[in-house]
Amino acid sequence: MARTVGIDLGTTNSLVAYVDPQTGTPKCIPGPSGSTLCPSVVSLDPDGSIIVGEPARRRLLTQPERTIYSVKRLMGRGVADIQDELKLFPFRIDPSSKNVIRVRLGDKFFTPPEISAFILRELRNWAEAYFGENVDRAVITVPAYFNDAQRQATKDAGKLAGLEVLRLVNEPTAAALAYGLHEKQRGHVGVHDLGGGTFDISVLKLISTSEGDIYQVLSTNGDTHLGGDDIDNLLQAFVHEKILQEHRVDFSPHSELAQELRQALIAIKHQLSENESATLRFPLPNGAVYVQEFERAAFEALIRPIVDRTMGPVRQALADAKLKPSEIDEIVLVGGATRTPLVRRTVQEYFDRKPHTELNPDEVVALGAAVQANILDRGVSNMLLLDVTPLSLGIETYGGAVAKVIPRNSTIPASAQEMYTTGVDNQTGIDIHVLQGERELAKDCRSLARFTLKVPPAPAGLSRIEVKFLIDANGILQVAAKDTRTGEQRTIEVQPSYGISDTEIERMLEESIEYAEQDFAERQAIEARTEAETILAATQKGLGTPQAASLPSEERAAIDAAVAALKESISGSDYKLIRKRIDELNNATMRLAELVMNSAVSTALQGRKLAEV
Amino acid sequence: MTVASTATPKQRNHFDLFEVPRKLWIEMSALEKKFLELSWKLHPDKFVNASPEEQELSLKRSSELNDAYRVLRDPVGRVEYLLELEGMRKEGEHKQQAPPELLEEVFELNESLDELREAKASRGDLASLKLRLEFAEKNFQEKLVEVDAQLQEAARQWDAAIDANASDADRKRIMVRLNELLNRRSYIRNLVTNVAKELS
Repeated sequence: MARTVGIDLGTTNSLVAYVDPQTGTPKCIPGPSGSTLCPSVVSLDPDGSIIVGEPARRRLLTQPERTIYSVKRLMGRGVADIQDELKLFPFRIDPSSKNVIRVRLGDKFFTPPEISAFILRELRNWAEAYFGENVDRAVITVPAYFNDAQRQATKDAGKLAGLEVLRLVNEPTAAALAYGLHEKQRGHVGVHDLGGGTFDISVLKLISTSEGDIYQVLSTNGDTHLGGDDIDNLLQAFVHEKILQEHRVDFSPHSELAQELRQALIAIKHQLSENESATLRFPLPNGAVYVQEFERAAFEALIRPIVDRTMGPVRQALADAKLKPSEIDEIVLVGGATRTPLVRRTVQEYFDRKPHTELNPDEVVALGAAVQANILDRGVSNMLLLDVTPLSLGIETYGGAVAKVIPRNSTIPASAQEMYTTGVDNQTGIDIHVLQGERELAKDCRSLARFTLKVPPAPAGLSRIEVKFLIDANGILQVAAKDTRTGEQRTIEVQPSYGISDTEIERMLEESIEYAEQDFAERQAIEARTEAETILAATQKGLGTPQAASLPSEERAAIDAAVAALKESISGSDYKLIRKRIDELNNATMRLAELVMNSAVSTALQGRKLAEV
Repeated sequence: MTVASTATPKQRNHFDLFEVPRKLWIEMSALEKKFLELSWKLHPDKFVNASPEEQELSLKRSSELNDAYRVLRDPVGRVEYLLELEGMRKEGEHKQQAPPELLEEVFELNESLDELREAKASRGDLASLKLRLEFAEKNFQEKLVEVDAQLQEAARQWDAAIDANASDADRKRIMVRLNELLNRRSYIRNLVTNVAKELS
């Protein structure tokens, strides 16, 4: 049976989780390195293969031209939107990009959903290796404040990774779900989610009913361009300037040296969450070493403007929920950046209560996604999520003004009907421009779609076309039109202003075959073979050690037999057989491994006084 | 459980959907209880493994439920909806004509607003103008409170008329009054918003 998982597709790290059917608790799935965090970094190897996660992150230093991080910042955005990002992030944008951005890795170009799909595919591989089973359905989380285009881009990424996206769940809502399970809270809950690149605040009401628990989102607000990345940028600019002044060393903000400095400063930032001070020692190309002592207080003064930027959305979310800070019963911190003591203090002071930090802030969103995946997979459950749309949906009217048809914080699915008619005789089309945002003028809102309603030629005002706008449970817009005069129903092909069209998705799916996953069994066989080769090499090495000579001959014979059997199995593609033979060889070499290990330990201890051990 | 089992053949109005009479005073906790009860039955999350037709129906019905709850929960939205339902008001109608008795004050206000804009452009003296506008804003805020109270009173009359099974003419008279008050409210609110925007 195929499995369903929950995925947190983060700006900095991504995770995959599932609900253990035995215990009913959600759990993050580790990758090959044993860590549950997959850095959201993608690198294109010169041989054409795609590298994702920690190995790709290391290439940020060695092959920055072929490597990309924080691609989430580009999801669902147009070229004009990202000019600010380009100053801060080393994105190499295809200059011929029109609506959909294309990013260059080495000599190839990819859209942001394609790059995100590589990350999703990697996580899918982790999960499949973990279960030994196919994984084809997922719940993917998005920042609550993501607009329609950003959500659509995320859904496209899922599709490109070969996943059926059961639901896009808002990150703070997912976190509340994970915490709700954990804490059994009731009442009003605020979720303050400061991640790598995005900030969300959601206010929820947890309600117990006879049928089960309802998680009702009352309001949400945020900033899709505010996060730990901004702290890093600030630190980087600060130190960059100082290096320029004190050492006269200048380097491009997109160079390898800049990447190294960034990584070093991220480490400093993390240290300052634990310690009162931290020291940066950064070797410069001219042989000098730049040394900077950071005190926490000075660091906090530097980053305070960023932390303060979270409070505007917090106040708005509370106002929209018609609640005062004191009426929030519990406040939950989510996202790696909430480890920063200043963030914790700021939140604690505003709500006048100690925030919850019991769950790992990096994992909590993925855990919640797994809970929702489990709910949806089974169809029936004693839990229900009622989420909202973060932004008002509007239609452009005369003079470039916007008429709001679905207000922000409406529970989704939500819909609105508008009636349209013609203004002149024999008019054949009515132009409709759909927008998202809170501003009054169309030019200040986010353009979602423009389309023309076709109408049969008739005297002015005779045609009556009812257009239905529907925001589905993923927060994605659907549009349908009905000619009320003829009764003719039409679904409208909405060409998203900054999205990828369905035909383009199809083309990408076809093109992605060169990176596409092989058949599940084949992929498992490849992984099993790699593991077999590692253990065969280790066995070979073990048999060459002096300790091997002391093995009884029947044990030696058993090892040789197991080696031969494993070698024979890896020429085939039956991954289950390979795994079985690996286990057998492992068993046969247990004693040998012990002998080698003991000897290694005693060698290491030689020449050291017992007291030192 | 299927959507079909809770579906009705014809589209129901918001009051019917919540099984409440067409009255303007609604007990909020009962409304919420009904909302949650129906959400359990209709939400798309309950139909992920159902047929595409059922998924479609769940999407339609749950969006209707959410739309209805949004309207009925809002005291002003509720009045607008009732009048639309009774054919007394077109959907999305917001008359922007100034109520006659406010004409003089609105005229003065607009003049002050123009002066403020000019002063801002030419960097003239803002302080006294601002003071005048703040005073006007306060005045219109009070009028808003007043019209809200009148609206509440008219709503009570409507509910009483329903309870007393009043004649169509009586009902119509109350609806005309409600419609007038809604227009007046919408007009004053726009004024207040505009002034607040200029002052900020």
